[in-house]
Amino acid sequence: MAGMDSGDAPRGHSKKKKKHKRMRRLGIRIDMTPMVDVAFLLLTFFMLTTTMNRPQTMEINMPPENTTVEVPQSNLITLRIKDDGVIYWNIAEETPQKVEYKDLRVLMTQKVQQNPKLITLIKVDRKGKYHMMVDIMDELNLANITRFSLAPMLDADKQVLAKAAS
Amino acid sequence: MPKIKQARVGIKMDMTPMVDVAFLLLTFFMLTTQFKPAEEVQIILPSSHSAFKLPETDVMSVTISKDNRIFLGFDSQRMSGRIFGEENKLRSSIEVTTKELPDMLIRARIANPKLRTVVKGDADADYGLAEDVMNILQKTNITRFNLVTDMEK
Repeated sequence: MAGMDSGDAPRGHSKKKKKHKRMRRLGIRIDMTPMVDVAFLLLTFFMLTTTMNRPQTMEINMPPENTTVEVPQSNLITLRIKDDGVIYWNIAEETPQKVEYKDLRVLMTQKVQQNPKLITLIKVDRKGKYHMMVDIMDELNLANITRFSLAPMLDADKQVLAKAAS
Repeated sequence: MPKIKQARVGIKMDMTPMVDVAFLLLTFFMLTTQFKPAEEVQIILPSSHSAFKLPETDVMSVTISKDNRIFLGFDSQRMSGRIFGEENKLRSSIEVTTKELPDMLIRARIANPKLRTVVKGDADADYGLAEDVMNILQKTNITRFNLVTDMEK
């Protein structure tokens, strides 16, 4: 068991110590049960509190400032997200069409299959919520579109949307 | 004739190996546990399917809270001390304005060029502010950063 004890005196020494008064060796026994109990308690505590997972991240590489890439309009699909989270999409100068968030992935996959050179431009309203952008990026990543650009939504875009909505 | 009394067999188990293993595990968990530093604000992260993990060291986090405040934080106290001054060394992050942010980012990058930037935005923060932060990052030549997200359920 968990304990220590010193054994009997070694046999060989008995003759040498003849003259001394023979001391009775005390068997030292330490009860380790409480220590082991505490150790197990701490172990369970640390095991339960440790969270092994670290948060996920999405890596984003932005082009350095002042780089412009010329893209023909026909290869440009614009996703505009209004402040209430409604998504509109259009290619080139077409009138924006509404698309449900759940249908976005299918739509994007189709469009990229039709035209692999398609470049995605995301415009989110400043009054929108941060999670909208992350959601859209996530959907694009799931649709295997890893290259896209973010652009600010200008008043002109809002007018286009207002026209499309009416 | 009385039966011969059978000697009771005292069951003795050697628990030493088990206790050894227990202590080993205990030391492992004690040494690997990093207690989460108290956050200045609580952030509800947006969810995504991304599988990248957050890097463990050399992290600079730009936090955007729900009420549209920006916090800058470092994972090491040494860095916090260098950027925010010794008195703020122990704080996990400090509120900054969009005006102060570029300067601080540049100073931090000079102090530790290996620093990786993560943007930790609350799901309900305004996109406008996130856009501003991303523009600032781009202006200060931090073109590679990570957005912290939660696992999509």
